[in-house]
This record gives sequence, C-alpha cells and structure tokens, in this order.
Amino acid sequence: MEYIKKALPDKFAKTGWILLVLGIIILAAAFAVDSRRAFFDYLWIYMFMISIGVGALALVALEYLVGATWSTPFRRIDEFLAAIIMLLVLMVIPLFFGIHDLYHWSHNEIVSGDAILQSKSPYLNMNFFTIRTIFCLVVWLFFFFMMIRNSEKQDLTGDPRLTKRNNIFGTAFAPLFVITLTITAIDWMMSLEPHWFSTMYGIYYFSGTMVAAFSVTTLFAVRLKEGHYLDPKINNEHYYSLGAMMFAFNTFWGYIAFSQYLLIWYADLPEENFWLLMRWEGSWKFVSIALIFIHFVIPFLVLVGRSQKTNPRILKIMAIWLLFAHALDLYWLIMPTYNNAGAPLGWQELAFPFLVTGITMVVFNLRASKRNLVPVRDPKLESGLNFHL
Amino acid sequence: MSFDSTYTKELPLVESKTSFSEIDNVIAAPMESKPGKTWFLLLALSVTMLLFGAVCLGLTFWFGIGLWGNNQPVGWAFDITNFVFWIGIGHAGTLISAILFLLRQRWRTAIARFAEAMTIFAVMTAGIFPLIHVGRPWLAGYLLPYPNQNNVWPNFYSPLMWDVFAVSTYLTVSFVFWYIGLVPDFATLRDRTKAGIKKALFTILSLGWRNSNRHWQHYERTYLILAGLSTPLVLSVHTIVSFDFAVSVIPGWHTTIFPPYFVAGAVFSGFGMVSTVLIFVRKVFHMEHIITVNHLEKMNKILLATGSIVGYAYAMEFFIAWYSGNPFEMFVFINRAFGPYAWAYWTMISCNVIFPQLFWFKKIRRAIPVTLVIVILVNVGMWFERFVIIVTSLHRDFLPSSWGMFVPTLYDTGILIGSFGLFFTLVLLFARTLPVISIAEIKAVVPGAQPTHKHHTNGQH
Repeated sequence: MEYIKKALPDKFAKTGWILLVLGIIILAAAFAVDSRRAFFDYLWIYMFMISIGVGALALVALEYLVGATWSTPFRRIDEFLAAIIMLLVLMVIPLFFGIHDLYHWSHNEIVSGDAILQSKSPYLNMNFFTIRTIFCLVVWLFFFFMMIRNSEKQDLTGDPRLTKRNNIFGTAFAPLFVITLTITAIDWMMSLEPHWFSTMYGIYYFSGTMVAAFSVTTLFAVRLKEGHYLDPKINNEHYYSLGAMMFAFNTFWGYIAFSQYLLIWYADLPEENFWLLMRWEGSWKFVSIALIFIHFVIPFLVLVGRSQKTNPRILKIMAIWLLFAHALDLYWLIMPTYNNAGAPLGWQELAFPFLVTGITMVVFNLRASKRNLVPVRDPKLESGLNFHL
Repeated sequence: MSFDSTYTKELPLVESKTSFSEIDNVIAAPMESKPGKTWFLLLALSVTMLLFGAVCLGLTFWFGIGLWGNNQPVGWAFDITNFVFWIGIGHAGTLISAILFLLRQRWRTAIARFAEAMTIFAVMTAGIFPLIHVGRPWLAGYLLPYPNQNNVWPNFYSPLMWDVFAVSTYLTVSFVFWYIGLVPDFATLRDRTKAGIKKALFTILSLGWRNSNRHWQHYERTYLILAGLSTPLVLSVHTIVSFDFAVSVIPGWHTTIFPPYFVAGAVFSGFGMVSTVLIFVRKVFHMEHIITVNHLEKMNKILLATGSIVGYAYAMEFFIAWYSGNPFEMFVFINRAFGPYAWAYWTMISCNVIFPQLFWFKKIRRAIPVTLVIVILVNVGMWFERFVIIVTSLHRDFLPSSWGMFVPTLYDTGILIGSFGLFFTLVLLFARTLPVISIAEIKAVVPGAQPTHKHHTNGQH
C-alpha cells in the first residue's frame, strides 16, 4: 500500500499560531507587571519544551539504538517535534537575562557571605554555567541535524545504509542524552535552591521527560490516525507499545519520586528536608498531594490493563493527562523558589498552556508541511506496519 | 518498491534446522544420561567449598560472631556484603522471566529457565547471611510479626524488617513462576520416562498436564499475570536492600540515587553470573544452537547498559558529594578513592565501569572467551562494590578516635567460599535433574513454529 501524503488542515496551523501569539502577549504582560515571576514562568515553559523536544529526539535515537520496528510508523512525529530543539537556542537567550532573578548563586555578594555557596562556586558560576548550557544545546542540535537529515534523505533514496548510520548516531546519543539532561536538570532547576542537592535529581527529570515524550507521541499518533494522516494499516494494536511505554515510564517516575521522597523524609537531615518542607507550605501542600494522584495513582490505575493500552480514546485522554502531570511536576519543582508561601496561580501562569501548545503545534505544522508524515522508504517500515500483538 | 530486509529480519532464535523431537532429546539428555567425570569433579569441588563454609559457620555458631573480622566501627562487613551480592545475583532471573517477557523479547526463552533457577538458588544463599549475622539465628523467628506471649513486635520502621518481607515474597513468587514454567516440561518428561520413581515424580509434578488447548490458555494467562506481578519485585527487592543503607545518616550510605543504582547493579551482576554459567552449560550440554552467540551478545548489551548506569551512579555520587559542600560526604568519597581501601574502590571501578565498555565493540560482544573474562570480572567487581559501600563508609567514623580497619578472618572468607559452594552445588544438581531450558517455550520460537503475520509482497523474505 502506498502512502499518500495528506496536508494538515489550515485550522491546525491557525490555532497553533493564535495560541502562540496569545501566549507571547500574556508572557509579555507578565514581564511588564512582575519580571521575576515572569522569569520563573518562562523557565517552567523552557523546561517543558526541553522535555518535549529533546525527549522526542531521544525517542528517535532509542528506536535506532534498540532496533525497534513497531515505532517506525510513528517516528516522524518525534522527528518533527525534535525540531523544537532549534527553537530552544532562541528560547534560552531571554533566560540569561533572568539569571539574577532566578538563581541567587549568581549574586557575588550573596556567595561571598555563604560558605556553602563559595565551595560550590567552581561549578555554579556564570561562565561555567553558560558553557554547560551551550554544550548541551550543541549536542542536541548536532544529533538532531544528523539523525533527522539521514531519516529524511531516506525518503528520497531509500538507502538502507542511512538506517545503519542512524543506528550509530542513536547509540552515541543515548549516553549523551542522559548526561546532558542531568546537567540541564541540575543547572536550571536544582540550582534554584543552591543549598539543596539530591543524587536522584537527574534521573527524576529524565523519568518525567520520558513520560512527556511518550505522551506527546501518543497524542499525535492517535490524533493523526483519527484524521487519516497515517498509514491505513495502523490499527489499535499499534498503540499497545506506546501505551505500555507511557505506563512503564510513568510508573518509573512514581518509583523514583517515591524513593527520593522516602530517603529524604526518613533521614530528616535539615540540609535536605527543607526542600520538601518548602513544598508543604500553604497551598503547596495541595499541589504536592495532587501530584501523587495526578502523576501516579490515577494514570497507573487507568493504564495498567491491557485493553486500555489498545484503546485510542483512552490513550488520547491519558496522553493529555500525563502531559498535564508533567507540567504540574515541573511547576512543583520550579515555582516554590519563586513563592514559598503558597502556589502562585494567576493569569501570568496562563502563558504556559498557551505557549507550550502553541509552540508544539506551530513547529509540528512547519515541519509537516514539507515532509512526509511517514518515513516512506525506511526499511523497517513494513515490519512496523505489520506489527501484531 | 523493494525493502532491504537486513534491518527487520530477526535473527533466528534457534540455529540450524531443529525438529521438535531433537529439542526434546537435547534438553532431556543431561537428565537421561549418567553424568560424566567432569560433573562429579565439579560437584566434588563445590561440595568441598560448601563443607568448608559449613565448618566455618558451625564454629561461628559455637563461638559466636567474634570469630569474624567485624569490629567497632565496622559492624557490617562480609556478611552483609555477601547478602547484597547474592540477592543481586538473583535479579537477572526475574528480569529475564518477567520484564523481558512483557517486552516481548522472545530470545529470553533460551536463558530464562536457567536464570530463574539461579535466582532461587542465589536468594536461598543470600538468606543465610542476615540470619547468621544476627548472631543468634534461633531467635530470628521474631522477625515475623505474630502476636506472641512476650508481646515482642518487630520494628516496622526498619528497612531490615522490610527486607524480610521483600526477600521472602521474592523467593516465593520466583519459585511459583519457575514451577509454573516447568509444568509443561514435566509433562514432556513424564511421557518420555518409563515406569519408576522418576515417572511417578514427574506425574505428580506435571499436575495432569495434557497439552490441551485449555491447559495452554490457562498457562499463558497465569504466566502473563505472574510476569506482571514479578516486575515490581525486580525493583522492590533491591530497592529495599538499598534502603538498608540509604535511610541511615551515614555519609556514603545516605544518598537518594541508591534505589535505582542498586537495582541496575543487581541486574548487572545477575547477568554477569548467568552469562558465566551459561557459557559453560551450552558447551558441555551441546546446546550451542539453542543458546547461541546472539543470546550472549544480547546479554552483553544488557551488561553494557546496566554497567554504564552503575557508572553514572558512581559519578553522580562523587559529584554530589562535592557539590553538597558537606565535608563529611566529601571526605568519605575521597577516602574511598585514595584511602586505605583504594585498591577495592579501583577494582570496583575497573571491573564494573571500565571493562564492560569493551562491549561497545561488536567483535568483543561476540567473542566468547573475552566475554567470559569480562563477566567474571563483573562478578568480582560487583562483590567489591558492596564491600566498598559497606566497609569504606564505616571504617572512618565521625571521630578519628573511632577509626578502624576491617580485616577478614579465615571464617569470613570461609563462609564466603561456602556460599559459592552452596550456590554451585545447587546449580550442578539442577543441571542434571531438571530441564535447563524450557522445552515447551523453545519449541515456540523455532523457525516455522508460529504462523507469521507478515504479508509477503514479494518473494524476497
């Protein structure tokens, strides 16, 4: 069966742009009113976009690394979303203007009066921080360009050697992905509370990223199939693995979150527990409790069965649900530093949903308009389309 | 349009043209023939080691654990090291039988049975150590919470208590899983065996299995449910073992990465041991066409992945120890790397992180002698990892006046040797009394055994 490309409806692009512009307006207004709060909101948006963009690239790499075929019919979704990485380069620039609002280790006068921050200053200083951020972005960009170029070239040439080349890139990216994600998590989020530390933090963010990446892939996969944009051979069984991966990584997140919490709670050392206590102040208490149910308990119960994982309707709802959960998780990680007394929730935070959906839709649409939604001549495609449970 | 099938063709899981009866014969052969000299020699060696350990243990019971090198401040040493080591060895079995099953990795069939058996033996071996470490093992019954006359309850806040539940659950579920998988094989063996005690035993154990459609339906459902139930166990057991250390406030023990780091390490060491044993088994029992080089290569990939995760954890611990700005944390880690136990630390680093990196190369992954060397190093490295964590964190207490060193005595070493003796004795007995590969499952992955769903567009495939 030949795949015939069908253009995405104009409505999709239009909605994306409207959301994006609205998001920018809200964010700009937020900056005008209270720039410190706006920077925290913006960091929240930035971290979420890393989860989606870099997470999507990781899924592309993962497919090549493990030689999976079931995911090949869906791979373009992640290839398109990985283009967000190009935007991250732009998005990070405004953040550098907010470093002093976000990170109090960036104030020399504070550091000079704080022995602990002084001992950390070889790591937490502006120069090294900038170098690390650039390093991460360069790594992501490099692998994005190499892998996506090979994959798209294959649409024209059908050359199987391109798959082989991407196997190498995918394999090389796997360790670098974990390292860069850990650096990003420690630098941009953990150092918001520079006194606090947790060896688990990198893995914690990694697990959330994987949940978000699989969820956004599932959401697009189901929506595109509903609109008949994907290969007609794709049936409900194809979604099984997406559902299983969403479930598995979400449970993994629960495991990591629980382990981190339990160990800090049990030892009850003041150098660690203040971070959790901050999240128990005022209305943060409710966010903390909600996180347990929204991010773990409910998705676990919904997705644990087999029939749910092959039900596109349920998967679509759970994908949106888990994306919301990941957003809530990042909010819980970032915002208590802005306001310790209670969870800040006002019109400024509306920038988040508008911008992240807007950016995702616009980038996806821009990429999809000139490219095939299916890697048409990928040697693994046939096997992926013929997938059966 | 023609597709190159290089990237989609699954390598055959069983090499060469194999008939079902040939599989029966090959797998049943070790049980139906008299063991050779080598087997008796190995058994003699294992039993000697076991007896040596038993004597050391007997003396420990008689004189008390003062015979060991444990002291103040090193209150935990070989005993807990061995416990964690053996529990870890058991993790490959559950990962292979449960997680790889759920992930539809059909290559697991060739190695699952042996790995599951090793899980059970390793957990049994591990269970000895906490019991003897308490010094008065005859009082260990109080670990089980039951309303007794003395009104003595265990401390439910203690992860050592959670261990009791985690490990016993693990052993039970692993055993049930293993036995369920054996039922169809018992039936095959029953049908092959002529009258006698053996036949009677197989008849009882096969639970009236007749290979009927209904039997298979129930079997597959049970297997899936057990796989689902065992999956959290892969994580929970070693997570709780890691809690034994991480909930305390000892620098070097209390760090949040411990749970996933221990689990990865356990899977790593488990695969190391499974690989070590299977390399010999496939050779001795002429099963090279069932446990192929492809299987070993895949296991090596898992070793590479888990070994790198362990490396990540080492690096993270070291980095955060510095980043925390806590002088005690910093001291512990610098002392680990450059203190009196630096040799143990660098043994651990080289065996667990550096040597497995050779598996990036396909040639090395497929070279069996090199693999054998590396997997043995992995076993060594993982034992040392636990030794490093336990002893180096304890031997420098908070006050320099309470610094000490741990030197193992003959009894420490003897019991460690004895644990290997016990494990290998059980493995050797298993290899001769039960099918080391699942006969029923391997038949299902023989080329041509399953209807293919592939739609043949051209004659290429």
